[in-house]
Amino acid sequence: MTDQRAATGGSRADGDVSAARVEGVWKSFGRTDVVQDLSFEVRRGEVLGFLGPNGAGKTTTMRMILDIIRPDRGAITVFGGPPGIEHQTRVGYLPEERGLYRDVPILETLTYFGALRGLSTREARDRATHLLTEVGLGEAMKKKAAELSRGMHQKAQVVATVLHEPDLLIVDEPFQGLDPVNGEMLRSVLLAQRDRGAAVVMSTHDMTDAQKLCDRILLIDRGRRLLYGRVPEIQRAFSDGAVEVRGAGISAADGRYRSVSEAAEVDGSVRFLLRAGASAQQLFRELADEGADVERFEVSTPTLNEIFIRTVAGDRRAEAVR
Amino acid sequence: MRIRGRSFLGLIALVAKRDYVRTVRRRGFLVGTLMLPLGIGVFMLLSTILPGAASPGMGTGFPVGSPDATGQVVLLANESELELEQPASPLRFELLTREDGLQRLRAGTAEEFYVIPQGYPDDPTVLRIGEPSSGFDVAALQRQAAQQQGLTLLLQATLLDDAAVPPELAERIVAPYTLQTETMAGQPGPAGPSIASFLVPFAFTMLFVISIFITSGYLLQSVTEEKENRVVEILLSSVPALPLMAGKILGLGAAGLTQVIFWVISALAALSLLGNGGGLDGVSIAPITIVLGLVYFALGYLGYGAIFSAVGALAPGSREAQQYAGFFGFFAVVPVIFSSLFVSDIGSPIVTILALFPFTTPAAMLLILTLAPEIPWALVLASVVSLGAFTALATVASARVFRATLLLYGVRPSAGAIAGAIFARS
Repeated sequence: MTDQRAATGGSRADGDVSAARVEGVWKSFGRTDVVQDLSFEVRRGEVLGFLGPNGAGKTTTMRMILDIIRPDRGAITVFGGPPGIEHQTRVGYLPEERGLYRDVPILETLTYFGALRGLSTREARDRATHLLTEVGLGEAMKKKAAELSRGMHQKAQVVATVLHEPDLLIVDEPFQGLDPVNGEMLRSVLLAQRDRGAAVVMSTHDMTDAQKLCDRILLIDRGRRLLYGRVPEIQRAFSDGAVEVRGAGISAADGRYRSVSEAAEVDGSVRFLLRAGASAQQLFRELADEGADVERFEVSTPTLNEIFIRTVAGDRRAEAVR
Repeated sequence: MRIRGRSFLGLIALVAKRDYVRTVRRRGFLVGTLMLPLGIGVFMLLSTILPGAASPGMGTGFPVGSPDATGQVVLLANESELELEQPASPLRFELLTREDGLQRLRAGTAEEFYVIPQGYPDDPTVLRIGEPSSGFDVAALQRQAAQQQGLTLLLQATLLDDAAVPPELAERIVAPYTLQTETMAGQPGPAGPSIASFLVPFAFTMLFVISIFITSGYLLQSVTEEKENRVVEILLSSVPALPLMAGKILGLGAAGLTQVIFWVISALAALSLLGNGGGLDGVSIAPITIVLGLVYFALGYLGYGAIFSAVGALAPGSREAQQYAGFFGFFAVVPVIFSSLFVSDIGSPIVTILALFPFTTPAAMLLILTLAPEIPWALVLASVVSLGAFTALATVASARVFRATLLLYGVRPSAGAIAGAIFARS
């Protein structure tokens, strides 16, 4: 049984703040447990990074939130109710495998998608016209999808996802296959949606994108939750107490500084490993007392990529932020 | 921005309208709709013209000895002692000598002529002289049949006149009676079985079968296309599977029906242009039969539509989808294969089984309703209940399969997975 604390990533659950909540969900296909006892919450005004290696169960979980498939066990709520027809107008989805009707003008396709999401046909058409023009597809909106370049397709698909200003946006590997220009456009679209108060769930296995965009992350592997929380908290948990210092009069000799257990020279800097209980400030004071001329003093924090690799490899520090 | 509340029916209507409009606006649909009647018309026209074109008399006016548009002329050499009496016949007889007839044949201005022998009526052998036609010439066969019918009337009238039979009696001998029917209650009855009264039930049933195949084609095309285009996941995240599937069935079913209705109207218009209502005069179908026919049509349509939607979702590609659909579509044709049994023994157990087996119910009951002397109400009730239950179950099961398998790109799900999807707890 999963407790509420676990479901909310260490914070108090708030019905008004929560856009979607997944509690103790299981899903199997045949004899394979694709999702196992998974719990998390997506809050309004945040980007939740949904991380994991291929086959971790990310897409399956997203499809369950969207009510495309149903969980075998556990509960999913979207805006306080069961997912489905009631809330589909408030949800936007950019699937990993995405496409458009090839023989239909993109404006017509987007109008249809907007109408399915609850807009009137006229409003869907007006919104699609406006947004397509905004992303530079004003001239191409009456062309069939088959006549458009790959980049134009990608822009049109992003427009289709946010056409109805969803309160919950679910994007599955959104940067996959995007050229840099469209990648930047999508990044700004996602941040704009978050800033207007929408909850964004973004699955990715690109940690650079996750680090740039996500307020919180959820890392799963083989359907199980491995990490869940705010990015700085997780980085702190995985910090190995290393400090990199560059400057003059800095020694890598053993026992020179009381707060240091190990030191080594790396690319013109000295990398110090702090003793248990010692802090970076303590080392900084010691360096100053020794008359060192410090040019750069950086507390080393692992990147999400390093954390991802360590966690999937079984690093026990993940337990603190699971 | 206003987001409207969406109802289940509203979503069905939205999907149905969109799929209908998209399909009927397709070039393939328009070409298919217009080309079939046009093609059949051209074929009929050619089949009428070509036998004549191959004949030597073409281009010399109406060939004598051939039935033609102005009144058919039969060349006749009368070598007997009889004085021929022109009967009441649309044919006109032109008398000539055997030598003249042969000359006309050689000149190519006639196809054949007839010789009444010198010893007639003791010698009843009438000679037809002409070159045999090459191949199977339907027009020549029809022409000669008409000529011989006219010749019979001519000789009957002549012999009766020769025997000094009064004209009224002679007329009665040639056409001894006119048939009129009456019911036990004294009401005028049907004129009797006609070709049309047998053809109409088959046409009605074939219309259903054709509609099934046409609509299944559109459904499979739509579902597999959305699957291959990767649009389907966006649709399923916007609309629950059941209204999405139901909307497709209704929209594409309506598109298929539009096409069939256009073809039927074209065929009726063509028949009426050919004259006498295309032989459909006097054919009447009771309103209750039409109502029941529509019930079977609708239930069968929905049941098959649901199955074809699931087939489209299950199949890894459009080719496989067509193959699977052909298997189910075969059931719709089974009653037509057994149609002779429906005509000869409508009470047969096989007919009853076909009427109650849901896959064959629509076509079987359409045949029964139009062929049976009275509506078999017990069978109607049992078959409607069985077909209705089957349609409801097929729709729910297909929606589950549709949802569970539509996102399996390029993968053929196992039988266990399909069963699992159907029987999964909702």
